[in-house]
Amino acid sequence: MSNVQRLPAEQMFQNEIDALIAAEKDPIPTGWRMSPKSVLTYICGGKVGKTEIIPKYIGNKRLVEICIATLVTDRALLLIGEPGTAKSWLSEHLTAAINGDSTRVVQGTAGTTEEHIRYSWNYAMLIAKGPCPEAMVKSPIYRCMESGSIARVEEISRCASEVQDALISILSEKRISVPELGIEVPAQKGFSVIATANTRDKGVNDMSAALKRRFNIVVLPAPSDMKSEMEIVKTRVNQLASGLDLYAKSPDDDTIEQVVTIFRELRTGATLDGKQKIKTTSGVLSTAEAISLLTNSMALAGSFGSGEVDAHDLAAALQGAIVKDEDKDNICWKEYIENVMKKRGSAWLPLYRACKELN
Amino acid sequence: MATPVFFGVRHLSPAAAHQIRKKLDEIKPDLILVEGPSDLNDQMHWFCHPKTKLPAAILAYTEQMPIKTLLYPFAEYSPEYQAILWANENKIPCRFMDLPSHVFLAISEPEHEADNSSMTTEVVYNQLETMLEESHDTFWERKFEQLSDGYLEAAEEFGRQLRLSAEDSPYRQAENHIRESYMKRCIVHAQEEGYETIFCVCGAYHVEGLKHNEPLSDEEEKSLPSVPSNITLMPYSYYRLSQRSGYGAGNMAPAYFELLWKALCSEKPENAGYEYLTRLAAHQRKQGHMVSAAEVIEAMRLARTLAYMRSSRYPVLQDLRDAAITCMGHGQLSELSVSIANVEIGLKIGELPDGVSRTSIQDDFYRNLKELKLEKYRSPESLRLDLDLRENLKVKSEKSAFLDLNRSFFLQQLRVLDVRFGTLTKYKSDAVWGESWFLSWTPEAEIELVEAALLGETVKLAALYKLKDRADNCTEIAEAAKVFEDAFLCGIPKATEYALSALQMLSIDTAAIEEIAKTAQRLSYVIRYGDLRKFASDSIEPLLSQLFLRACLILESSCICDDEAAKGVMESIDILNRVQIDHDFLDETQWISLLETISNRDDINTKCSGFAMATLIERGLVDETLLSTEVSRRLSKGVPADLGAGWFEGLAQKNRYSLIMRLSLWRELDGYLSSLDEEEFKRALVFLRRAFSDFSPNEKSDIAENLGEIWGLEPEQTANILMSESNTLLDGLDDFDFGDI
Repeated sequence: MSNVQRLPAEQMFQNEIDALIAAEKDPIPTGWRMSPKSVLTYICGGKVGKTEIIPKYIGNKRLVEICIATLVTDRALLLIGEPGTAKSWLSEHLTAAINGDSTRVVQGTAGTTEEHIRYSWNYAMLIAKGPCPEAMVKSPIYRCMESGSIARVEEISRCASEVQDALISILSEKRISVPELGIEVPAQKGFSVIATANTRDKGVNDMSAALKRRFNIVVLPAPSDMKSEMEIVKTRVNQLASGLDLYAKSPDDDTIEQVVTIFRELRTGATLDGKQKIKTTSGVLSTAEAISLLTNSMALAGSFGSGEVDAHDLAAALQGAIVKDEDKDNICWKEYIENVMKKRGSAWLPLYRACKELN
Repeated sequence: MATPVFFGVRHLSPAAAHQIRKKLDEIKPDLILVEGPSDLNDQMHWFCHPKTKLPAAILAYTEQMPIKTLLYPFAEYSPEYQAILWANENKIPCRFMDLPSHVFLAISEPEHEADNSSMTTEVVYNQLETMLEESHDTFWERKFEQLSDGYLEAAEEFGRQLRLSAEDSPYRQAENHIRESYMKRCIVHAQEEGYETIFCVCGAYHVEGLKHNEPLSDEEEKSLPSVPSNITLMPYSYYRLSQRSGYGAGNMAPAYFELLWKALCSEKPENAGYEYLTRLAAHQRKQGHMVSAAEVIEAMRLARTLAYMRSSRYPVLQDLRDAAITCMGHGQLSELSVSIANVEIGLKIGELPDGVSRTSIQDDFYRNLKELKLEKYRSPESLRLDLDLRENLKVKSEKSAFLDLNRSFFLQQLRVLDVRFGTLTKYKSDAVWGESWFLSWTPEAEIELVEAALLGETVKLAALYKLKDRADNCTEIAEAAKVFEDAFLCGIPKATEYALSALQMLSIDTAAIEEIAKTAQRLSYVIRYGDLRKFASDSIEPLLSQLFLRACLILESSCICDDEAAKGVMESIDILNRVQIDHDFLDETQWISLLETISNRDDINTKCSGFAMATLIERGLVDETLLSTEVSRRLSKGVPADLGAGWFEGLAQKNRYSLIMRLSLWRELDGYLSSLDEEEFKRALVFLRRAFSDFSPNEKSDIAENLGEIWGLEPEQTANILMSESNTLLDGLDDFDFGDI
């Protein structure tokens, strides 16, 4: 079990979920394992009895409330946002808390077909026995409808529009028909869908108005202030580091602050004090990238360095994360190093030198 | 003696307003005391007048500078207002019991005093917000507006706890103490008068103080300070209410609170939510956004679940709005923001019947309306008024001879005060002696007028104050010149003098040529037409000379600029030239020699040189020979094509007709073009084409005729050839490398 690269949320936070269920006092909606208020506590953090609940989503609590309330009303939920704003993260934890099962996922890609949404057949059995329930391969959504739980559709806007359309009837009729078997499967109470979609990416299929209308839409913003973004990065880096057995110390607050500062400044196109304009890069530079950047540099430091993240590890990781589109990004990054970083004083000096060396 | 009933309220709270009526019905008191300035008692009856429409406000203000104000806004759902109405319906006496406004204004805290206390009421509210993760307003709505009964006890307890935990600055505490003691005194007095059951309406915060404080003694009452002040009722608007001007407790969503109040009155509090969402949907549709009924239903369901998660009985505004954004606005507040503003704030404006106590500025306004025979324009309909500012020679009295002029002064003064009574429009002809106004009277204008009362006793004095204030804050001469012009239009000599001195002071500082030119233009206007408005313009002549001299000194260096800036410089040359022609006292010789210098210099922007030349031509100072020499010098083979063409462009800005008529000019141009080789010609063509781009087709064909004459061709033939050739020429340019142009 411990060799699994990444445990699903419900296993990772098993003890928290158990504690919440044990302490439950409020009424529980059909098909749910805990009350909406407990789900909120699970996502946003708090304390139940003696168990400390780690906040999973740091940001506007009200948005989480809206998400949960949406699922209580059996409406489907659509999470929209720029890459790296914790859409999938939130959707995973919502299903983990509500159903204790976050694994019923349809991954939306350009190659996703209608069968992935509805059902397909085990052809060997189909040929041997003809259409029968045993020959059917049910999609995660199908199974969720039967069990009255919540299915996840990731990156819905990457699916072709006819695949998106398949969802429309499921969401409005709340039943799925199997003409081959002459049956119709109604969704049990508690069934719903959480979909996520990107706003920034290219090559995305626009969602039809008909489909959008069947979702309650919540837009997840990038972290609004420096403090909350630092908190997100810190918690996640520590979690990941312990899970991945990186033989390096977690980066200290100053390092995290530097990375978050650089990311925020390049993202918004101005220094934090708003006094200087900066060119923005072609990448989104999300919080998620900042997290993976820091774990990367931890891996570097652990495997090849001193075991502590130093300026050189960080500089290499920064270079890789920021410079994506060779020419343009490189210019932005060089300008940033010279115009902003250089003037930041002694605390930034090692990082400045290391970045300068690489360029 | 029975203890009085204290009903602690939040100002502008529908639930309090609703329950206060129930409580009054139950107790049937024989006197009602309301928190409000006690010197307004004799005007309280206006609140109950059938023609009064809320929102309205009580405004008190000091007569002397710096002006301090007190504002008590009331809406239909104000508990105080409902108590006053109830008293009126049941023929029960009702009084205000707070400090008289002249005392309150005298003791009220100086505005910018730093509050050093760490636990002010604000801080307590902030802590409450952090703890609940909800705004204080939402908290109040969730906890208090949804109470079906027990509001009195709950609000009182809230007030008590707030008093315990909050510690305002000593100044504010003292202020509250005096107010509460004074109110207590009123209550005791009423008891001595023999009233049995007294009902007191006051802020929840004060209940505790009223119960336990000692009343103010006679000596203490006598020793209270006082300042000369005025107090008045004024119409108010929901928009202003939502701005929370005046005392802290405004509310952000007056129109929504009205819905809440109506829902409470019909005993169906849940209706407010339905009403809010359907109105929002209707507004969205009106603006052309699709909102289906299904979405409204979904929004309502979501709002209810959100309310349930926060354990409140009905969705509050925050729930409704969040649900609407999620279900109707695709998760984006921006999609709904206009509709939300409309439904939550609304456009409602209050009205007061004629004859309600007026501020002196209102009196002055109505006196002026009568005197200037403008009364019929005081209607909501927009009416046109044409004014002839000249002296009317047919009438005998001076007053009627200058009626229109005085009207204009009055309207201009209102315009300066931002009272939206009249809007100036273009007069039917260009005559400077005429003005055209559209006049219409709105309650909004009345509010603006009352607010202007803070600036002065009469319309004129207020305008004077405002103009002085503007003059003090000017940093550029163009700004000061605008103030000066406004003062001139208002016909207030004191203000013009003041603005003039501000202008003089600023004119010493350096300024750009355009700014100086525009200022000179305004001054010139005043000098020329000053007597029309009975203005003695002698005082500004020296200033204009000074500015003109300054312009002459910096004009030459200003001409060294890029093409973008050259536009402004040319405009300035034109303005200054006209100003010089209009006024003999400006040095003509100096101006002309300056123009000649600019026209002759090769090292400044050639457009400016060309324009200076054109100005000289306009003044008849350039003869045919000089022009053709100049043309051949400017457009000769060695000169870069863009410079030559730029000069020509500047030259062609003015007196085109006479340019077209001068055959010699076109001969020179023709000679220049034929001297160029292929590549040079292509370059020159690009720039010349730009220079001729704003010539009209008629002008172009006239030029073609000229050229035809030079080439010895039939005029029409040339024109035809030119038209067809220009197309082929343009095609040829396709391969031309524009890279370095």
